[in-house]
Amino acid sequence: MWWHAIWRKPEWKNWPLIVTQIYRLGVLSVVITVMSGFSIGAVLALQGYNQLVRYGSESALGLGVALVLVMEIGPVVSALLFAGRAGSAITAEIGLMKATEQLSSMEMMGVDSLQRIVSPRLWAGFIAMPILALMFSVVGIWGAALVGVEWLGVYEGAFWSGMQDGVTFSDHVLKGIVKSVVFGLVITWVAVFEGYDCQATSEGIASATTRGRCIFVCFGTGTGFFPDPYHV
Amino acid sequence: MTDHIVLENVVFTRGVRRIFYDVSLRIPRGKVTAIMGPSGTGKTTLLRLVGGQIVPDSGRVWVDEQEIPKLSREALFDVRKSMGMLFQSGALFSDYSVFDNVAFPLRIHTDLPDQMIRDLVLLKLQSVGLRGAADLFPSELSGGMHRRGALARAIALDPKIIMYDEPFTGLDPVAMGVIVLLIQTLNQVYGMTSIIVSHDIAETASIADMVYLISDGKVVGAGSPDHLYKEDSPRVQQFIKGLPDGPVPFHYPAADFEDELLEEIPNR
Repeated sequence: MWWHAIWRKPEWKNWPLIVTQIYRLGVLSVVITVMSGFSIGAVLALQGYNQLVRYGSESALGLGVALVLVMEIGPVVSALLFAGRAGSAITAEIGLMKATEQLSSMEMMGVDSLQRIVSPRLWAGFIAMPILALMFSVVGIWGAALVGVEWLGVYEGAFWSGMQDGVTFSDHVLKGIVKSVVFGLVITWVAVFEGYDCQATSEGIASATTRGRCIFVCFGTGTGFFPDPYHV
Repeated sequence: MTDHIVLENVVFTRGVRRIFYDVSLRIPRGKVTAIMGPSGTGKTTLLRLVGGQIVPDSGRVWVDEQEIPKLSREALFDVRKSMGMLFQSGALFSDYSVFDNVAFPLRIHTDLPDQMIRDLVLLKLQSVGLRGAADLFPSELSGGMHRRGALARAIALDPKIIMYDEPFTGLDPVAMGVIVLLIQTLNQVYGMTSIIVSHDIAETASIADMVYLISDGKVVGAGSPDHLYKEDSPRVQQFIKGLPDGPVPFHYPAADFEDELLEEIPNR
């Protein structure tokens, strides 16, 4: 039944529902993602510069920050933020719909709630998560450039050309995108499942929301490193 | 099969508790049938069995000559398009206005143009007296208005069967009178097969053609309201007269009261 909801190609008339969910889950998460991306990029640049300058290697700052953000921190931290903001909202919303019999009433009208409620949220998470992760990384790199180049005086040419030379789409950016797609799927899947499966009480909804987030934090932090060991 | 809905020897268990032991009943087409009984006897469960939301352990449930538990998910959704259900809580979608709630099944199941959907929704809202409240949201409605809005949504697709789950609970006398009148009118005008699950005897008996009384997982009385009033069975009489004690005991089964008072504080 769940696979049916996930893998069934969305019907054309359901696209407005997916767009609405992309707005609610994705667009409304942009501010928190951009703010976190900027501050993490800035902090990485500041601390990275302090270490690299001791060996005269501050020109590698751009490359180091970009690799860390694009492959590791970008997908994982943006996914944790997404799980906290959007994942919890999905669980609570579906849980409340269940508790107030809105899901039952929909089913009794002959409307498949998996297709109407679950599927658009899954697809929206699947689409929004990689975009948010990329946004996080881009703003993080911009924050790093602001601190490294504008404030600490790293040579601008070295900062950007090092990044251009060392970061490739297939080896680095694509891996970050794949990670964030998987995270997007897992977060929304866990969130909708917990909402759908929760006990229809206020305590049941609260525990489902917490449980959904905890499951993803364990999964995200546990698997964030997995695709890259051969890179070490 | 002239009956619209038939339950044959239905057994249903939830967890460790057996809700129905061997329930058989027939609901005639185009009539108002009431399912009555004390709280917790599984009246709402019976509606969910008819709607296919739950499946019996054994026995058969037929709606319009289709065996509900054996239908595929798609076929079940098709059958449900000819059913309307008024939930006890109303269950209006909280993010939609009253208008959009009533329009919801029409927009999903039909390809009608917006203008026609608007006219149909206004007709349904007019019939429940809420045309003026079309733009309000469920949180802005009183209990009676909420239920009337849900009723308008339940009849949006002109179903052949309509099920009312405790339609009178928690309503003031005026709102209750309005709902009684609406149920009666809808049945007479549209000829819908109506099932009312309720324990409000006077209101239900005033509009029901047929009453089934369920207690302890069995049908303990069946017939017209007049027939049930004259029934000798102590179980039926206890329910009809609202006696606090009788075959349905006032006390939930427990250990001896005096023994419990005298014993040491148990570890609870």
